[in-house]
Amino acid sequence: MPWYLYLACKQLFPSGRFPFFTAISVLGVTLGVAVLIIVTSVMGGFGYEIRRMIVETEGEVDVKVTGYLSDPQDVLAQISATPGVAAATPYVKGVVGVQANSRPAYPLFRGVDVGTIERVANLGRFTNPPSAIANLDDDSVVLSSQLATSLGVHVGDKIEIYSPLLIEKLKNDEVFLPREFRVVGELYIGHQQLDSSTIYGTLRAAQELYGLGRSVHGIYVRLKPDVDEHAVVARLNTTLPRATTQAYSWMESWADFLWVLNLEKSINFFLLLFIVIIAAFSVMSSLLISVVRKTREIGLLGALGARPRDVALCFCAQAFIIGLTGTAIGVGMGFGVLAIRNDLVHGIARLMQRQETLRQFYQFSDLPSHTLTSDLVMTVVASIVISTLAGLIPAWRAARLKPVEALRSE
Amino acid sequence: MSEVVLAARGLRKSYQSGGLRIEVLRGVDIALGAGESVSIRGESGSGKSTLLNLLAGLDTPDGGNLSWGGEPANANRRATFLGIVFQSFYLIPEIDALANVLMAARMVKAPGAVERARAQDLIARVGLAERATHLPAQLSGGERQRVAVARALMNAPKLLLADEPTGNLDEQTGDAVVELLLGLCRETQTALVLVTHNAAYAAKTGRQLFLRDGVLNGSNSVAVSSR
Ligand SMILES: Nc1ncnc2c1ncn2[C@@H]1O[C@H](COP(=O)(O)OP(=O)(O)O)[C@@H](O)[C@H]1O
Ligand SMILES: [Mg+2]
Repeated sequence: MPWYLYLACKQLFPSGRFPFFTAISVLGVTLGVAVLIIVTSVMGGFGYEIRRMIVETEGEVDVKVTGYLSDPQDVLAQISATPGVAAATPYVKGVVGVQANSRPAYPLFRGVDVGTIERVANLGRFTNPPSAIANLDDDSVVLSSQLATSLGVHVGDKIEIYSPLLIEKLKNDEVFLPREFRVVGELYIGHQQLDSSTIYGTLRAAQELYGLGRSVHGIYVRLKPDVDEHAVVARLNTTLPRATTQAYSWMESWADFLWVLNLEKSINFFLLLFIVIIAAFSVMSSLLISVVRKTREIGLLGALGARPRDVALCFCAQAFIIGLTGTAIGVGMGFGVLAIRNDLVHGIARLMQRQETLRQFYQFSDLPSHTLTSDLVMTVVASIVISTLAGLIPAWRAARLKPVEALRSE
Repeated sequence: MSEVVLAARGLRKSYQSGGLRIEVLRGVDIALGAGESVSIRGESGSGKSTLLNLLAGLDTPDGGNLSWGGEPANANRRATFLGIVFQSFYLIPEIDALANVLMAARMVKAPGAVERARAQDLIARVGLAERATHLPAQLSGGERQRVAVARALMNAPKLLLADEPTGNLDEQTGDAVVELLLGLCRETQTALVLVTHNAAYAAKTGRQLFLRDGVLNGSNSVAVSSR
């Protein structure tokens, strides 16, 4: 080990006494790193939950049709035969008018093929009762809970649905009556964006409302586990007729939404990185104090034959070691807190007597956490680099000291 | 004179302080053979430390030239060529006595078993075998200076420069340190330059020099200096 590394270690962790100054510098970095890991992991957890919500309501790939697909069976067969595809289900979706208790609403009506939808999606996870979608018939619907609340309807109530065909019929002076549906379940996904007012009904009901005959608007596709979705999307787009159909991965379909989610996470990351930057300032000031305090010893090192470059490395190494130690402990601490996050959240809720609020506000009563390797690597690299940079000014000050003047200083 | 360890010719050094130019050294000549010892005396402020720093290559002279072992002095050779003992001991407080001695070896290369054994031996020779694992703060002034002496000798230098090594010590302790310094240098054939105020210590060296008005004079100027 070169002398400057040896001395850097010894100055940080002197034999025979508790390294108080070092501990404080390390603690700053530790806290910054721990908070970064906790926050990016929890935000990653929410993102992961949202991804699951999207995929479990719509599958991973959406084959969208320009206009409508009048004979879906051929395309369905073609999609199902594509390598990597596990299942496919046709859908019709469009805006309808709803009236109940004299309150109107204009939700999105999703017509799903009851026979195959559960092979692609996992809607049962979000509905009450869980079998609501599987038991749909052409006269029943499932409402998103937000919509049910705003209309004031409950399971068992009836609602009236007006389709856009109504306008056509009115033009021709025909009499048109709204269709009546029974509400057989509620759907609650748990995210504002995804929970926006939606009605699930059968494919046939939707086709009738839109006067589509046997045509559909598109096909949801579920992939086999661990298949690269972009590869499958590319494959589908080369085999399917270009003019009418186009496959999109869920990431492409939700690109704007995912971009906003990612932006939120990046902003948080950079804001929290300031904790590490502030910690780095404390590392810098404690090393600067150390340079001043050790001026005569630095002069002595010169007298013993140390080169200025090595003296600088000695202080840079100290900053690096502080950064490394702080980051290592911070990573441990971050994951430690994440491991007990639910106990913490429930404990706080219990203390404040807010357990019910918590359960109502978040659909998952447990705090999600998902650590992306890329976030972890970014946190670790950023904090070590920033801490090491904090050593540059002290190192430069130390290297600039002339041995003779340093030894003369009192 | 067998082998020339140290040779300086016409060393000059001046300091600029507050618009005033103080010429501290005005052409110092000195030559030292292997194992030879000299003492330098002079009034406080006469430039003894300035001279020693120049000889050690810690500072650059305004003029003159300096050679170590027949070759031009060069800061890269300092660690192996010479050892320095200062008035203050300047031990590194975070590491124990033995590690302080080893520090000199570390400057050259990572120490192995040979270097460790040598450091142990030197610590024993300065009479601190029992205290090798003590931190500087746990040692007395005399003991610290002994550690500094052992450190200066660690790399088996050809030359040892000592700048008032007893200046911070009481008389008895000082006597012991000087005896040690002279004894070890004789034993190891290390040339010694001893800056001191003490005539008795100076008398124990092979040659006595005086620094006055920026030049070094031989023992014939004793009368002038101690008037
Ligand atoms: N860096 C410096 N700047 C200005 N003057 C200095 C400096 N170093 C030494 N001097 C002056 O040079 C003279 C000699 O100093 P020094 O070599 O320390 O003397 P000695 O060691 O003989 O007591 C003193 O007058 C001192 O004030
Ligand atoms: Mg002096």
